[in-house]
Amino acid sequence: MYQNKLSYSRVVLMLFLTHISMLVIVFIRGSITSAGAFLKLAGAVIGLDVGYLLLTLAYEQMTYTLDFMLLALLNISLIFQSCFGSIGLSVKHLISCVMCLAACEAGFLLTRNHEWIRKQKGWIYALIVLLFILIIFFTDNQKKWITFGSFSIQPSEFIKPCYILVCAASIVELHEKIKILFFWVSKDTLILSGVTIMIFALQWWCHDLGSLPTFAAIFVCALFCRLCYPKAKISKRLIAIMCIAGIGILSAAWSFAPEYVQKRLHVDIWADRYGDGYQQCEALIGIAKGGWLGVGAGNGALCHIFAHESDIVFATICEEWGLLFALLTVMLILIMLMTVLMNPPKSYYHATMTAGVTAAFLAQMGLNIFGSCALIPFTGVTLPFLSQGGSSMITCGFLVGMLKAGQSPLFRHKAPPKKTAKKVTT
Amino acid sequence: MKSIQRVQHLISAMLLIFLGVFAFLVYKLQTEAGFYISNASKISLGCVYDRNGDVLFDPDADAQIYGNDYFIDIGNLIGDASRQMSNTLVAQNMGDLAKFSFMLGEQENGQSAIYCTLDHKVNRKVYDAFGNKNGCAVAYNYLTGEIYICLSKPSVNILNHYDDLDTLENGSLLCKVFLPAVPGSTQKIATSIAALESMGYDQVMQKQFSCSGIYTNQDGKDIKCHKSSGHGMQNLTQAFANSCNPFFAQLVEDPEFPLEDIQRTYEKMGFLVNNEGTQKYLDINGISAFTASTYLKSKTDFNTQWGCMGQGETLVSPLQIMLWQSAIANMTGKTTYPYLIDHTIKVNGAVANPAETKYSSQQFTPETAQYMKEIMLDNGRNHYQTLCQFGDVGVKSGTAQIGNAKTENSLLTGFVDNPEFPIAFCIEIENRISGDVSTTDITGTLLRTLHEALYQE
Repeated sequence: MYQNKLSYSRVVLMLFLTHISMLVIVFIRGSITSAGAFLKLAGAVIGLDVGYLLLTLAYEQMTYTLDFMLLALLNISLIFQSCFGSIGLSVKHLISCVMCLAACEAGFLLTRNHEWIRKQKGWIYALIVLLFILIIFFTDNQKKWITFGSFSIQPSEFIKPCYILVCAASIVELHEKIKILFFWVSKDTLILSGVTIMIFALQWWCHDLGSLPTFAAIFVCALFCRLCYPKAKISKRLIAIMCIAGIGILSAAWSFAPEYVQKRLHVDIWADRYGDGYQQCEALIGIAKGGWLGVGAGNGALCHIFAHESDIVFATICEEWGLLFALLTVMLILIMLMTVLMNPPKSYYHATMTAGVTAAFLAQMGLNIFGSCALIPFTGVTLPFLSQGGSSMITCGFLVGMLKAGQSPLFRHKAPPKKTAKKVTT
Repeated sequence: MKSIQRVQHLISAMLLIFLGVFAFLVYKLQTEAGFYISNASKISLGCVYDRNGDVLFDPDADAQIYGNDYFIDIGNLIGDASRQMSNTLVAQNMGDLAKFSFMLGEQENGQSAIYCTLDHKVNRKVYDAFGNKNGCAVAYNYLTGEIYICLSKPSVNILNHYDDLDTLENGSLLCKVFLPAVPGSTQKIATSIAALESMGYDQVMQKQFSCSGIYTNQDGKDIKCHKSSGHGMQNLTQAFANSCNPFFAQLVEDPEFPLEDIQRTYEKMGFLVNNEGTQKYLDINGISAFTASTYLKSKTDFNTQWGCMGQGETLVSPLQIMLWQSAIANMTGKTTYPYLIDHTIKVNGAVANPAETKYSSQQFTPETAQYMKEIMLDNGRNHYQTLCQFGDVGVKSGTAQIGNAKTENSLLTGFVDNPEFPIAFCIEIENRISGDVSTTDITGTLLRTLHEALYQE
């Protein structure tokens, strides 16, 4: 379906070379204390590469670009996480990476048929309600985690892909409008607004305000798609009212935010270096110490700071690997999102879905990176693919699957692609 | 397809916004890395040197290498890396001292260093000249802005690692050159400038007021002169030399000298008047220096009149008093901005941040500066001949009463009118009593040793 610029074998070679180069860097500059630990890490990285690539032989898609990029990213992430403080395979993160790859396939298979997934909206709403119930009645004191022995999951993470799916809409849905007072609105938009309010209320109640901007970004994206599709009658009055309402809600949230949020909004991190600004100050010092090229894998000091592997992971990577490497990694995620521009979705539903996924990823990356570097208030959300955390990794994998679905869609009335399409990647 | 294209435009816009903010973040991280690293708990630092290459700060300094009190005269100015003092050269420039670059990371053998304009040997001699008295002294080149001498006594011996904090005298950790002080009669320089600005030289010189030793102002309050028998009829030049309080009280009350004019000139000279606005601070290579503040309520108000003579609620830093001398000595009405760092050396040995001479905005007219210079030189020629060995000296002394007149601080400020030796200075001796070392003695030592040091170069 798409023009092939790179052969499959060359891309695979590049993938291996990337990971082998990183392992060589760890070997040369890293603080290796045990050869066995290093070999275990190298084995896991190469094993994951080989395993997943062999698996791709078993199924056919129109493009494998995202698969390769995701695999590249996950193994980079595995190497990062295995080297913080000391070098040794992070088995927990390896499991998260495998779950991420599995979630990616699940997301792809569930969403590649836009007509089928659109018809499942009722079930998706039901799933969101179920997640609400889980959060309200089964989470811990912080209203975030459900723990099974040594294993914990964060149900609120799973709301994100569900919410993106209910935000996605086909043009048919958008045309089904009813008049309420002076405005013509679709039933779908009304239900979506109700669910959005519920999600916001739940996040507020759970004190998980860090995720709110992510949901808000997805919602604004959905709203834009609903207002700006070609045949929509865009009411300037409606847009003005929505803008005013948006500003009002933001101002109210700013004013009525809980005390701990207000503190974070106004904290001068250097004045409160050993209080609320501690993590950000240490993160910035770590980034400075790392410079462009880093202090070497396992040689950093940020590994002693709380949440070094999740909330301030960008800084931890910068310290050990250098800002240059961290930039390249972030660029890899961005290029992954840019593939949507190169391989555009074929249906409006998939287009709105990929916009939601992009918004979610960018919002979360922004919150993590800019927050840990004190450009915006610190929220403590994870950095997609790079932070440790099973729930986050599964969600990210599922979202990449949704992106993939937009690029390798399944149309009922079309024959499946031929085997020769397997070489395709752009 | 058009609808899908719109969504792609939305995605492109989101990606571009993110990339834009991210690019800004990278720029910020790179440019501010020095500041971040200066806050690290462990960081290798370079040394600070004076203008002759003498060490002013060495992170590995100890008494065996340098002698026990080698750093005593600059303890609270140059400081150290312990973060016990924040308003010091080292604390404020740790980023430049760090043996670190964003490209190369931390370099144990880096060459990072700061070269100062100070002359440590002269500084120490002036410090010693204070004897058992406390106070501060500052002197700089009013043509270039290089600070040659800056000290504050009591000081702290950084080699003691603050083990003796409990026994340190009050103010040991602060350089008083940069702090507010009661200026005493040195404030009459500012008031004279205001009068010259308001009325012009000819009109001011026509004004003569009588001093009988005590003057009862229009509010019925007595303003005493330090000479109880009085100075008789005087003009501004004579009253300035005599530091006559009744003259200046009558000058402030004069209907042709509106209070608004005093306020306007004061504000141009850096005063915060009546707490209107925000207090101004000078940034001397990161060190924050107070400028001046006062209250002007009404022309006949007792405190306002005293404020114009450097008592009451008037506060000026010794550094600011010295800076006004540059505007007078240069006859430009603009102060020469002072600096302590001549240049820095980067971790790779490259010279960076060379100092530049900068000037303030116009504080008063060049004509006023010229007339004021003459008035001050006249005072110097007639009363401070001993200081004139390197050129005519324009001078004003002051006595500041502290704590309900329980103690008196002695001040002397001025400039040497010699383009080969363009020095402006301000000296303060705390709690000076008759028989103690005088500001004139210390100024003499300062000018003599500084002249020797500069001409040896």
